[in-house]
Amino acid sequence: MSPIIRLDGVSLRYRLAKQRAHSLKEYAIHWMKGGLVYEDLWALRDVSFEVGRGESVGVVGRNGAGKSTLLKVLCGVLEPTRGSARLAGRVAPILALGAGFDHELTGLENVYLNALLLGRSRREIAARAGHIVEFSGLGDLIRAPIRSYSAGMIVRLGFAVATAWRADILVLDEVLGVGDAAFVKRCEARLAELRRDGATVVLASHVPDEILANCDRCLWLEAGRIAADGEPRAVLDAYASTRFDGVVSAGVVETASPSSA
Amino acid sequence: MPVYKRRAAMGDLLRYRDLVLALVARDLKVRYRRSAIGFVWTMLQPLLTMGVLMVVFSTAFRFEVPSYPVYALAGILFWNFFAQSVVASMNSLRGNANLLLKVPVPKAIFPLATVLSGVVNLVLALVPLAAIALVTGHRFGPGLWFLPVAIALAALFTLGVGLAVSPLAVFFTDIVEMVGVILTTVMYLTPVFYPLEIVPERYRWLVDLNPLRHVLQVFRDPIVTGHVAPAGELALGVLLAVASFALGARSFARAASRIPFYL
Repeated sequence: MSPIIRLDGVSLRYRLAKQRAHSLKEYAIHWMKGGLVYEDLWALRDVSFEVGRGESVGVVGRNGAGKSTLLKVLCGVLEPTRGSARLAGRVAPILALGAGFDHELTGLENVYLNALLLGRSRREIAARAGHIVEFSGLGDLIRAPIRSYSAGMIVRLGFAVATAWRADILVLDEVLGVGDAAFVKRCEARLAELRRDGATVVLASHVPDEILANCDRCLWLEAGRIAADGEPRAVLDAYASTRFDGVVSAGVVETASPSSA
Repeated sequence: MPVYKRRAAMGDLLRYRDLVLALVARDLKVRYRRSAIGFVWTMLQPLLTMGVLMVVFSTAFRFEVPSYPVYALAGILFWNFFAQSVVASMNSLRGNANLLLKVPVPKAIFPLATVLSGVVNLVLALVPLAAIALVTGHRFGPGLWFLPVAIALAALFTLGVGLAVSPLAVFFTDIVEMVGVILTTVMYLTPVFYPLEIVPERYRWLVDLNPLRHVLQVFRDPIVTGHVAPAGELALGVLLAVASFALGARSFARAASRIPFYL
């Protein structure tokens, strides 16, 4: 069977802010001084992998290793500088719960706004709104402006909207750890349910238990490259062994000198 | 074979039409603050400008223009629509930066919603315009029925400009002020409140080169002269609107993938 996600040699470059001309004036000055000098940061370097339909893939790696960038590429928010990312299905992007929420609007109004941003029509939303509100567990508070909500409540509402429709591919960026234990349980139950329906999951997390509970495969990113790809237990053990005492580049463990950290 | 599909393209705009409508509604709510005074307030500026111009042009310059108040107000409303839409389009991408980095939504939606809410404002402003016409004894002609088409052409032209400049505002922060200066200059090259006839013949070509002058005439003739703009002007107006939109959409599509890197 053909893979549902296929990345071929994906590299992604950020131009560092201090080198970038922020205004046309600066740009003109740089240009007259003899060309613009860029310092490039490659957040992803030649990343290739395939994900089969129904797989659930965890993504681990330290801060700045490229996890969020990889997920943004999967969602189509960022386009690779080189290579290609191909996804054969509808993606539910869960990069930040509550992104696009307007704090002056009520919870219910935000359900509409957020779902519209995900490309749903007003009719589709009206048909599913009751279900979303029920899953969020917010009850009557749904009619209050969300500036009165706690962070956990916003996350619950965001997750309820993001997973309200059947998607082929769910992409989650460190979003499960924010709610309380009971809600995380419900989220995981919802994920399991969606997976039983055939959804494919890609989940970035810093919590090993979250990966172990939800994934049957794990990618370890290090400095924009895949350092390991395999069974979650094994990959997490390898990652944990280097987490505090070493720097890893492309699978090779080196000892870090105090000054290079 | 699976269909590999990655990012939202221009064609997906249709799928997001309810979102566009919601953004327009939100914009209007903010502008009018859910009250009648909000509308009066937004009409105060064009009406005051018209009043000042009326005094200036009827006393200082002594230039006889039939239905000058209607002529001037129609010009001002058109110009406000154009200039405000262009500036708001530039801010629309920047203002939604947080969103564009988290949700894969077609980016053109934001300038589009901005221009559409400008159209709604323009249509609402036609009510005070009609009142001024009534008070000053201006008589509308049968050409008025063409006005919706003329507004659609003005909107298409404006959307093209908005699409072309909005990514620039993301790449370079000082573009917004620069465009402001350019807009002021172009306004004086557009017969917004002066009649075209006061421009000396030998400088007329300069004004004729300004595409806005033609789009404005197509919009204003049905209101002021009571007739659809002359065939030549109308054809030019259609051509300019379509060309502006085509070029704007093309340059936006080219720049779109680079936008998130600069937000």
